Amino acid sequence: MEPILEIESLKKYYGKNPNQTKALDGITFQVMPGEFLGIMGCSGSGKSTLLNCIAAVTRPGSGSIMMKGRQVLSLSGAELADYRGREIGYLFQNFELLDNLTGRENILLPLSLHGVPEQESRTRLEKLASYLEVTDVLDKFPVQMSGGQKQRIAAARALILNPGIILADEPTGALDSKNAKALMEKLAGLNQDEHATILMVTHDSNAASYCSRILFIQDGVLFHELRRDIPDETRPLFYERILMMMAQLGGGSANVL
Amino acid sequence: MFSKLVSRNSKRNRKENGLFFGSMLAAIIVFYIILALPRQDVMIFLSKMESDAVNKLMSMIPVFYGMALVILFFLIYYASRFQMERRKHEFGVYLILGMRRSKLFTMLLAEDLRNSLILLAVGLPVSLMLSELISLITARLVGISIVGHQVSFSLEAMFWTAGGFLLIKFAAFLILSGKISRQEIDSLLAEMPKGEKKQLPAPVYGASLIAGIICLIIAYTSVTRGEAWIYVRQMTAAVMFGLVGTMALFWGLRFPIGLLVKAGKRDRQLHVFHFRQVEETVIYQSGTLAVCSLLILAAMCCFGSGVAIAGFYGKSEPHVLDYTFAYVESSEEAAAIRQQLSDHGLDSRFSDLFEIKIGMVQSRTGEDREDVLKMDRLMEELDGMQPAEISGRLLNNMKYYTPYLISLSGYNRLLAAADMPELKLDAEEAAVYMDSGFSSEEMRQMLNRILETKPEALLDGDALYLTGPVQTTDVVTDRSITLAFALIVPDEMFEYYTQGECEIYLDGVLDEKTIQKASLMSAISDMNRELDKTGLQYESYLQNMGRQMFYMVSASYITIYLAVIFLIIANTVIGVQFLMGQQNVNRRYRTLIRLGASYKTLCRSARKQINWYFGIPTVAAACSSVFGVRALLTGLLSPDAKEHFLQMIMLSIVMISGLCVLEYIYVAAVKKSSDRYLLTLTELEREE
Repeated sequence: MEPILEIESLKKYYGKNPNQTKALDGITFQVMPGEFLGIMGCSGSGKSTLLNCIAAVTRPGSGSIMMKGRQVLSLSGAELADYRGREIGYLFQNFELLDNLTGRENILLPLSLHGVPEQESRTRLEKLASYLEVTDVLDKFPVQMSGGQKQRIAAARALILNPGIILADEPTGALDSKNAKALMEKLAGLNQDEHATILMVTHDSNAASYCSRILFIQDGVLFHELRRDIPDETRPLFYERILMMMAQLGGGSANVL
Repeated sequence: MFSKLVSRNSKRNRKENGLFFGSMLAAIIVFYIILALPRQDVMIFLSKMESDAVNKLMSMIPVFYGMALVILFFLIYYASRFQMERRKHEFGVYLILGMRRSKLFTMLLAEDLRNSLILLAVGLPVSLMLSELISLITARLVGISIVGHQVSFSLEAMFWTAGGFLLIKFAAFLILSGKISRQEIDSLLAEMPKGEKKQLPAPVYGASLIAGIICLIIAYTSVTRGEAWIYVRQMTAAVMFGLVGTMALFWGLRFPIGLLVKAGKRDRQLHVFHFRQVEETVIYQSGTLAVCSLLILAAMCCFGSGVAIAGFYGKSEPHVLDYTFAYVESSEEAAAIRQQLSDHGLDSRFSDLFEIKIGMVQSRTGEDREDVLKMDRLMEELDGMQPAEISGRLLNNMKYYTPYLISLSGYNRLLAAADMPELKLDAEEAAVYMDSGFSSEEMRQMLNRILETKPEALLDGDALYLTGPVQTTDVVTDRSITLAFALIVPDEMFEYYTQGECEIYLDGVLDEKTIQKASLMSAISDMNRELDKTGLQYESYLQNMGRQMFYMVSASYITIYLAVIFLIIANTVIGVQFLMGQQNVNRRYRTLIRLGASYKTLCRSARKQINWYFGIPTVAAACSSVFGVRALLTGLLSPDAKEHFLQMIMLSIVMISGLCVLEYIYVAAVKKSSDRYLLTLTELEREE
């Protein structure tokens, strides 16, 4: 099976010597179709830069990003905009719903941006809304929704064009534990039932335990990889392993000054 | 460090609010031009001719200046408030870093002062040049020899411009900084969420929209029909209907915009997004938009009707007489004037010098002056004539005319001077005279049809026959002296009815040779100098022309001045509000970029929003201005000038279209500014 996303020796440095920050320092990995990949790391480890590079929001210094065999870094203008909208679906930590549009209008926004007739996606909208349990709030404005509803509307927006990959940037960051759990269950369900490919950056070990594989980043380089042994390994067990890894990532007792 | 911060902040303010600073520059220019008005060539020339009227206008300049200051103060306050709100977080950071409030105040004051001084440094030289240019152009347009051109630089005007501008800037600054300094640091640092505006059911807005339109229709019908011009109460009601109508219309606009969001081709790129943006604007700013629309309307009406009225002022008056000497009461006194002229060797300069007698009927039967003439037959015939509007106006006017009598011999001399055929009257006939300022061509034609039948009338109880055609040639030079209604009667009849109680005007027409040597204007100027030596009181065509020119110049200056001020304010408010609003919702644009909106798509959407944002108030104002200008022309024009009604309307439309072009340029500038801002959002950024 061909990988959907291939990252090769990705580098991104900020500033100049001697104050240079190596946000990404030669990262290489692949994402397979239908995979639910987590990326974890401490603050400043480079995980958000990585996601921004894949989303073509930040241009890396060197390396390559291949999406479905196409070089992302060579895209520009309309192609780039098309890539952002159609190939990837982006789920933000702060939802980033447009507060003057209703839930439905927010979900349909990518269609309008990419010239897709609304009729084509009407069934998909209804299916997604019912799956994500947001049918009741479709005609409400974000200010009238709870945090969980907002994030699920944002998820529907990210999914409406059936993108090749969903990039989720700390999607549970602004949610309480109950809503975070509900969202992660929905994302995991989408991954299992619809084989949606998800790349999620998170701090939250609990959220990460829904992934099938986790990459740990430290100081701009890949530090470790965890794979969940499905179906033998339960989620709580995987969670334990993640916690242990996070403790090491923090430096473990060896790093105590 | 402190001065560097001040310099950088003020530079950033100028960069971020280029539009606002552009408007301020325009305000400085407008201030200076109106204040330097007395130094303009045309005004200097006119003050020699018409010093009273010019002085009256000049004494009004401080009023206009003060009014403009007050209006501009609100504009500056409004735009600066936006700026301060945007920088609240920054102020919070300064304070939390330990900056004292007094230091913050000093910093802001220094920033404001620096920008104001830069504006003055750029604005004053530009206004000097413009004022000079206007002075030269107007002098050329009205045909004053530019040999007498004087530099229009006025130190006083410069002082008042700079002083006034700094004063309002400082006043606005004090109020705003006072408000900011009272806030706690945490409230400065916190992002204030915009509260949700309570929405009423859609039919309420629909009803408001319809009510608004009805109010506007009522207002416009009453002013264009001219009813409102008769009574103050009706005019007040019309204005109130207009104001309320506009407010209700804008408040109700969210109904059709809401429909536009839902209907239409939703598949078009960002259709819903940009209509939601427009809707938001209309919801949050309907009052401001309505006020801006009214300001644009005022600008259009001022500009359109002012220029049209000025352009056609006194256009139809044929020029016959060059001089009229002050009226006397007896032929002996008139002869004395002739003698005086001849003593100074001036009589030869006139090709014609004649007396014209005007008097009122001295009733022998003890009738009131109003009732001394009875024209029942004429009135009866008029009553049935069509169009009823014209005959109605004639009937109404003629009821109130107190008839003057004009002696036939004098009037015939006047006709001869004007190269017109002599008027012949039988012993019991009287020709009707009506000044063109009080009658239109249509009115005169209607009267002429009746006068052909020579209707019988009673003058002080005696029968006489009225005859036509209606005469309109001016009996004196001074166009301010007009006869609404008079009868030209044979000299014997004149003497009989006036019983010698009459005014004698000595009219003069300059000799062709005198005029041919120089232009008419310089011939009259020379003659005036000579006449001044004689001590005679006189009125010359030049003074008269000066008066016309004065009305023309002052009407155009004031209307253009007001139009520019109104337009600057409305456009700045709309433009600044849009651009600031755009910056406030920058997160939305960033999200759209993440969702795959290209720079072009964003610009297109923002440009569409700008079109709507400016378009709504401008289109509303332009529609209203058609009625507004019509109403002003209906109310302000004399019946004779109304003959040019269509031409005036056309001229107004041209002027209003000109303003629309100006508006378009402004909109283009706002669009450019918005594009620049969106480009900064699309630039790759670091988000850690």
